[in-house]
Amino acid sequence: MTDLGPKEAAQALSDIDNIVQRVRQSSIYDISSQIMIAAGVLVLAGNLANFAAPRQASLIWITVNVLTVASAAALSTMGGRMPGVQTFDFRVLAAFLLFYGFGFLCSVVLGHFGPRELGAFWAIYFMLFYSMAGLWFGRAFTAMGLAIIALTLIGYFFVEGAAFLLWMAAVNGGGLILSGLWMRRI
Amino acid sequence: MAELDDIIHQPLRLRIMAALNALPSGTGLEFARLKKLTGATDGNLGAHIETLAKVGYVGVEKAFVGKRPQTTVTATATGRGAFARHVASLQQIIAASGGNG
Repeated sequence: MTDLGPKEAAQALSDIDNIVQRVRQSSIYDISSQIMIAAGVLVLAGNLANFAAPRQASLIWITVNVLTVASAAALSTMGGRMPGVQTFDFRVLAAFLLFYGFGFLCSVVLGHFGPRELGAFWAIYFMLFYSMAGLWFGRAFTAMGLAIIALTLIGYFFVEGAAFLLWMAAVNGGGLILSGLWMRRI
Repeated sequence: MAELDDIIHQPLRLRIMAALNALPSGTGLEFARLKKLTGATDGNLGAHIETLAKVGYVGVEKAFVGKRPQTTVTATATGRGAFARHVASLQQIIAASGGNG
């Protein structure tokens, strides 16, 4: 039989807590990375489609946003049994609706943003939430969110004309895909 | 009197069991992911998984995903029970000392 003092017992319990925390974080990163890659592909395609057919911008972005929510719902439902992963339920759907509703209020009702401002605003708005989520779920989210916000602002101020859509395809779409792939390696 | 499990007590085996026990019942971890989570080397992890499998605490499943072999390790019901008792014993030791861990 093994003899153990209270100090060693406390150390063993602390090791267990540490591993459980790592499993939880690893599960969150695993599902999040899949959601990010899917969102990245959609955003990249949306920007390229917008570049090719600027008159269809509204239809393109409604489609991209609906598909983004649908893919997030499908992926989180599949991974919902893993520790730390939030299953897609009514509250998550309500959060998405509030998120889009507030964004619409700011950008269209109050702000009357033009196409360029809309492109920058939605990317920054999305990434703001990723950055904040990082404070609870892991620094990788914060690092990725802030990097994409910075690159979006650089594009907004320095990339002129329709090329801004290509910049956003690379920075926002490509950034999400690369961040998702990077997250899988952590 | 707290009775610790000699098999689980070893630090790496404790980490392996803690990681597998954190998952829902019947869900396993791939060898590579378990290696990353526990910080073990291939050989060391393989040897300790074998020890746990011998006493029936974990199940090991080998399969091919495409052309790549994949080993998945899952905690059995026996293993989960043993782990829960081991954790209870650790807590008992701390409680008996007046919580001065």
